[in-house]
Amino acid sequence: MNPQKRTTLTLTGLTLAFLALTALFLSNRPGRPVRLPPIPLVGTDFLDTATVRRSYADLARAQEDLSDFECYTCHEKGKPPPLRYDLNQNLIVPKEHSDIVMGHGSHGRNNNCFNCHNETNLEQLQTRDGRALTFSDSPMLCGSCHGPTYRDWEAGAHGRISGYWDQALGPAQRKQCVNCHNPHSPHFPPRQPAPGPHPLRAVAVAAVESEPNH
Amino acid sequence: MSRRSFLRTSAVLTTGLAALAASLKPLMEMNDFPTAERFMQKYYKELTPAEMEKVLQRITDEVEKQYGIRPHVRDLKPMDGVEFVYCLNLTRCIGCRKCVHACVAENNQSRNPEIQYIRVLRLPHGSLDIEKAEHFYNTDSVPEKGYFYMPVQCQQCKNPPCVKVCPVHATWQETDGITVIDYDWCIGCRYCEAACPYWARRFNFTKPSIPQERLNPDMAYLGNRPRRQGVMEKCHFCIQRTRAGRYPACLEVCPAGARKFGNILDPNSEVSYILKNKRVFIQLKEEMGTAPRFFYYFDV
Repeated sequence: MNPQKRTTLTLTGLTLAFLALTALFLSNRPGRPVRLPPIPLVGTDFLDTATVRRSYADLARAQEDLSDFECYTCHEKGKPPPLRYDLNQNLIVPKEHSDIVMGHGSHGRNNNCFNCHNETNLEQLQTRDGRALTFSDSPMLCGSCHGPTYRDWEAGAHGRISGYWDQALGPAQRKQCVNCHNPHSPHFPPRQPAPGPHPLRAVAVAAVESEPNH
Repeated sequence: MSRRSFLRTSAVLTTGLAALAASLKPLMEMNDFPTAERFMQKYYKELTPAEMEKVLQRITDEVEKQYGIRPHVRDLKPMDGVEFVYCLNLTRCIGCRKCVHACVAENNQSRNPEIQYIRVLRLPHGSLDIEKAEHFYNTDSVPEKGYFYMPVQCQQCKNPPCVKVCPVHATWQETDGITVIDYDWCIGCRYCEAACPYWARRFNFTKPSIPQERLNPDMAYLGNRPRRQGVMEKCHFCIQRTRAGRYPACLEVCPAGARKFGNILDPNSEVSYILKNKRVFIQLKEEMGTAPRFFYYFDV
């Protein structure tokens, strides 16, 4: 093979190789942007800032239905309702109040309605030292037993708050005990967690091609 | 010129030009060219109020063009006599991750790929070994027996390693304690991400994708305005809320009331009470000497 022929062959080979590379570049296979598997948007209920429960004070402020707190539509005034217990000294919750689960305290001895409710006026609450309180003032009742927690709540270290940290710029809304705790079974209920993080993973293009990537 | 050399030269030339055109092809796909205005924009700290006004106008227009919603973009300065501190009650946190998603919604983070400032770590009881932490936990109900949860986000260090390594001063600590990022100045080198011992910084590998209906139009320059591809971002204590006096989004959404925020220089604030009276047991990775402004505490 003479040198001229060799040069021609080499150049032809190189030209073909370059053309192949050009085709590869233009098809943009290696440089194609990574397609990501779709991630569903998180449900708006996880973005909701509302409390677990609504307090009497909330309902009164919003001028909503307070009939649940009007005891004397059924009960008789001046006649405290009798409490009945089963053989294990557990309170028998009457069927009219079947929504109530008695679970205040792990010892099971806090089983007397009138530990907190006022016997002589059912539309009021009553501390153990005999102070009568309205339903709006329920934190005072909770605080009569849960002193340290009440102190923390007053200082803002326990419980929920929203609005403004700077009182000069706007109000803060402090939530009451009963906004989160059911007074009859105050343990904070378990809940479903929001979806966890989706790790960054490239998947086969075909797998996601059909679904839109918002 | 012989016929052969003409053919050879033109074949090589065509191939070369085609290869050059192919190598430049990614440029054709670039649609986010910086405008001359953005390209010539001065450093944040050197902007005069009039220039800042123009910059905010530009951002407003850009966001409106892209998302079809006219945002309210502000440049909020730190307040005098304010230093922010965050306290998180580990006894109360139930690991529901509502804070994570409230943060994403408030701060216009990318939904896909996901960028989240808060990671909720699940740790077995009786240990604070981060090596045992799990943040992909996926159960039907929280809290789980035998575990506690520790959300981790930017700790707003008093001695921030991320600020020290930034080669272009695109991130710095403000007088109210918030470490901020100028997204228009960041070059995306990710040194700060490597320097942060809390894995608090996030990088926009792609153009962030935010569904239009979830865009938060209340924006701040150093806060939650939409980012570009190739810049860092991280928790900034919801600058657009907190510098206007409001609580951060993660705090307001927490169903357990585990999150507390306030001005540590105000002796009557919640955080002052907590640091004085509660069992504040940890600044995360205290031994790193970063002096976080984020405290974890317990009831009891």
